[in-house]
Amino acid sequence: MKRETSLPARVLLYSVLLIFTFMTLYPVFWLIMSSFKTTQEFQVNRLGLPRRWILTNYPLAWKIGGFGHLFINSIIYTVGSTLAVVLLSLSAGFAFAKIKSRATPFLHGSFVIGILLSAEAVLIPLFLMANAAGLTDTRIGILLPYIGMGMPKGIYLCTEYIKSIPDSLVESARIDGASYPRIFASIIAPMAKPVATTLAILNVTGVWNEFMLVNVLTSKASLKSLPVGILKFSGALSSDYGKQFAALAVGMLPMLIFYAIFRNQITKGVSAGAVKG
Amino acid sequence: MSFGKSVLRVVAAFTLLVSLFLVGASAAAADPIVLRVLYYFDATSPGAQRELTEVWEAFDKANPDIKVVREDLFNEPFHQKTEIYAATGQLPDVIYMWPGGRSSTLHTKKLVKDLAPLLGEARSEFSEAALAPQAAGYLAELPIGITLTHVLFANQKLLKDLGLTIPKTYEELKAMVPKIKAAGKDAILMGAQDDWVMQSCLYSMIVGRMLGDAYVDKLIEGTAKFTDAPFVNTLKFYKQLYTDGVLSAKSLQTPYNEVNGLFASGKAVFMIDGDWKVGNFLTDITTGQALIPPEQQKGIVMTVFPEIPGEINHRTSSSVVGVGFGMNANIPAGSEKEKAAWKLIMWLNSPEVQRERLETGAAFPSRKGVTSDRLEPLAQTRAKFYGEYGGTYVLDNVLEASVYLPINVGLQEIGLGLATPEQVAANTQKAYDAWKAAQK
Amino acid sequence: MKASAAGVGLGPGATGVVSPGSMKPTKVSGAKHEERWAYALLVMPAVLVYWAVMAFPAFFSVGLSLTNYNGGPLWSSMNPVKFIGLSNYIKMLRDPFFSVSLKNNMLIILVSVFGQIPLGFILAYVLSRRLVGLRDFFQSMIYVPTVISTIVVGILWQSIFSPYGPITEIMQQLNPMWENTLFINPRTAMIPVLIVILWMYTGTYLIIFLANLQKIDPEVIEAAKIDGATEWQALRYVILPALSGVVVTSAILAISGSLQSFSLIFAMTAGNPARRTSVLSLYMYDAAFRGAPDYGLANAISTFIVALSLVLIALLKFVENRAGGREE
Repeated sequence: MKRETSLPARVLLYSVLLIFTFMTLYPVFWLIMSSFKTTQEFQVNRLGLPRRWILTNYPLAWKIGGFGHLFINSIIYTVGSTLAVVLLSLSAGFAFAKIKSRATPFLHGSFVIGILLSAEAVLIPLFLMANAAGLTDTRIGILLPYIGMGMPKGIYLCTEYIKSIPDSLVESARIDGASYPRIFASIIAPMAKPVATTLAILNVTGVWNEFMLVNVLTSKASLKSLPVGILKFSGALSSDYGKQFAALAVGMLPMLIFYAIFRNQITKGVSAGAVKG
Repeated sequence: MSFGKSVLRVVAAFTLLVSLFLVGASAAAADPIVLRVLYYFDATSPGAQRELTEVWEAFDKANPDIKVVREDLFNEPFHQKTEIYAATGQLPDVIYMWPGGRSSTLHTKKLVKDLAPLLGEARSEFSEAALAPQAAGYLAELPIGITLTHVLFANQKLLKDLGLTIPKTYEELKAMVPKIKAAGKDAILMGAQDDWVMQSCLYSMIVGRMLGDAYVDKLIEGTAKFTDAPFVNTLKFYKQLYTDGVLSAKSLQTPYNEVNGLFASGKAVFMIDGDWKVGNFLTDITTGQALIPPEQQKGIVMTVFPEIPGEINHRTSSSVVGVGFGMNANIPAGSEKEKAAWKLIMWLNSPEVQRERLETGAAFPSRKGVTSDRLEPLAQTRAKFYGEYGGTYVLDNVLEASVYLPINVGLQEIGLGLATPEQVAANTQKAYDAWKAAQK
Repeated sequence: MKASAAGVGLGPGATGVVSPGSMKPTKVSGAKHEERWAYALLVMPAVLVYWAVMAFPAFFSVGLSLTNYNGGPLWSSMNPVKFIGLSNYIKMLRDPFFSVSLKNNMLIILVSVFGQIPLGFILAYVLSRRLVGLRDFFQSMIYVPTVISTIVVGILWQSIFSPYGPITEIMQQLNPMWENTLFINPRTAMIPVLIVILWMYTGTYLIIFLANLQKIDPEVIEAAKIDGATEWQALRYVILPALSGVVVTSAILAISGSLQSFSLIFAMTAGNPARRTSVLSLYMYDAAFRGAPDYGLANAISTFIVALSLVLIALLKFVENRAGGREE
């Protein structure tokens, strides 16, 4: 490998990269260390290693927080909404990109504006509506908003991607007598795998950490998700740091594992999805 | 024409998924009276596990005819949920609430009922101060305790090492500052990054000392103005604390709980906070550790701020009834549901529950005669503290939210040098006028 | 977006069969009918869900921002909701904390657009051209922050920047007289927040650029090199033009993301001291959930946030067109 870059440039580059490395590894390390301290020790020794390693924070947090079923709920919400977002975005994206209709600019535009909406902006109307529809305290009442929130980005990415699939593929299939749903299932969906991966990743991280909607739309403990459980432990007024950090570590680890497993797909997937605007 | 088997399959799979999720949500039909409860639950508190079994599960066992559906939340998510319930008229039957402050909505919109008629005979079991009318003028929640929001904690050993004694007057305190600073210590610690802290733990006491409750009542009625000299003078004195170096602007960027460890390790001679802070220093039953071990707790003195020049009330703190449980105003009077809800509220205020809270330092009992022989030295000091000092109003408990917010933020602005006392007073008066106008 | 990309069958090669787009409905109404049917089938589920849970509530919220609704049941005689025009917006514009929040939001947008994106690009370039070693490792180190919970990040950095925290201690080792006034001085209060934001989200753009750089044929770059182009020239004349579209997409994501930033700042400072680190979404949260709730005001703020994003993105598109950076 040739090294054309000058020495000062390389020094600068490496220092930036090392700063990032330190700033990333340290918080993770600090969090794990802190989760093995008693709260008393943490308050006088915030940044050092534990002087006495406490293992009980994890089982206590798991038990008091009822993390077992929260974990399962989180998986249901994450997987369920991600599957639906990917499927619905691909199918609508296909229609927007490959079937001519006068409705497209309006419908597609309505999704694109959705990228600019945040959950807080629709929280109160959404709760009023969910109540009126009898959907509070149901799983579907949580999944539907998650699906709706994931869709703007999804439709934007999928439409752009499917546009880049040559029209001739769709046409020749039409000539062979294939219906549009058939073309979607046998041609578009397989070809759009990269963008589907990107979308899935974006949606998984988003839904896994989301707490405001699920907190507002459910009141039963049996329907809440992990972030809501974690927030029972954390915040400015919580009285035990050790358990708080154990709870936070429980929430963070699945995402780190997810990243480790899908690291390569993330790069490839985004490569496919992040097409020019 | 063929619509593609695969699409049908996908649709079928999706329907199946959806229906699967729906099944999990169906609730069992219930014969017993169902009580929905919104509870503020600090899952990290030392007594958390015990509380779940000894208070809540025990209630379920003792009352098979009542089914409690509890929603546990903590910190901001709790307040979010309360506001959402209040906004949409979906309030649970029993709800954990503050006597004012963050529960303003419940009080001002009268969403919870007056508990005094339900209390009846049992009234005599509680200390009268705990049953004082709350923000909306009635007993909206039955407090689990009483709180003095201002305490001057002093590290006796550090004082002695520096050759100092607990100051009697503000001038004495001011004179101590250079000596404390020279020793590399801070004078007074406060974790006042959040804006409620300065107001609750310090400024309310200053207003109580310099003006008294009667004058604050006049401010509330509108017969006195926040822009009048007396109120502005309290802000001027507060500003003086920074000019004299008694308080440091550092307090305003110190996270609330960070001071615990700093005070315990002797970083400062004094700390100003609420009486509840004591709980953080006692032995934690889950770990057996204490931030300040019992033998050293004797060296911690709990007192109040020294005499302020021109004060009319002497040696007072600011006090407020503690948090407690309220009941949804929509529950019909005399109904079975009301009886069940009241049973639960009384259960949560039983002498046993209050004793446990006393021991863990969570709250000082609102019931008469709740004591324990298992109190650590600092908890004993705290118990005595209540007898020694009277309390004046805590501002966020008596003023409207829209009126105390400019005070909360203004206190931070004064400390940071961003606003003058006159400006803060003017902003507060403006907010008051706007609130008053909206009442008509 | 090009019009041709949205339509089907305008290309060559239709052997005998006329493409549906150019057909008259009367002639081959069956195919046209099926096309409409398929379009509806494919689009309807997405539209129904999205309109029900996002678009409609958003309109609802805009509507409420023009009324005096402040909680309680809607459409009940007990609680009549009155139309009050733009009063909530006027109230918002007059509030000094609105301008503080807006200013802070603008700072975050600047850091995102002119900090995260260039940094993400340079790092992606360096990594993809293998100008440094340990490529996979560094890539992970820059991306991982985006998956860590904002609460963890917020609490950690709050401790680190605290006046009794490690930064203060290190600085006082160097200079015993140094006082940590970062948050106290309103001019510097946002600096710690901005540093953390820069660190936390650069990874997103790194990944986007890294991925798109892989699509550029390395031979094109090598060819330029053989023709005597320096690394810098290859970057300037080959790579940058090929990525201008991605830069615009990234900038759109950065603008909308910055205006929605909430949880990190909430965990780190909650807008304090004295609301000097507040942002628009936090300001809205305060209006809706703290102290005296004011839903009209909260809805006005959220409408303003969306309007502002639209304006900024329109501005971005305008600049893009003027700069002529659009390649195809």
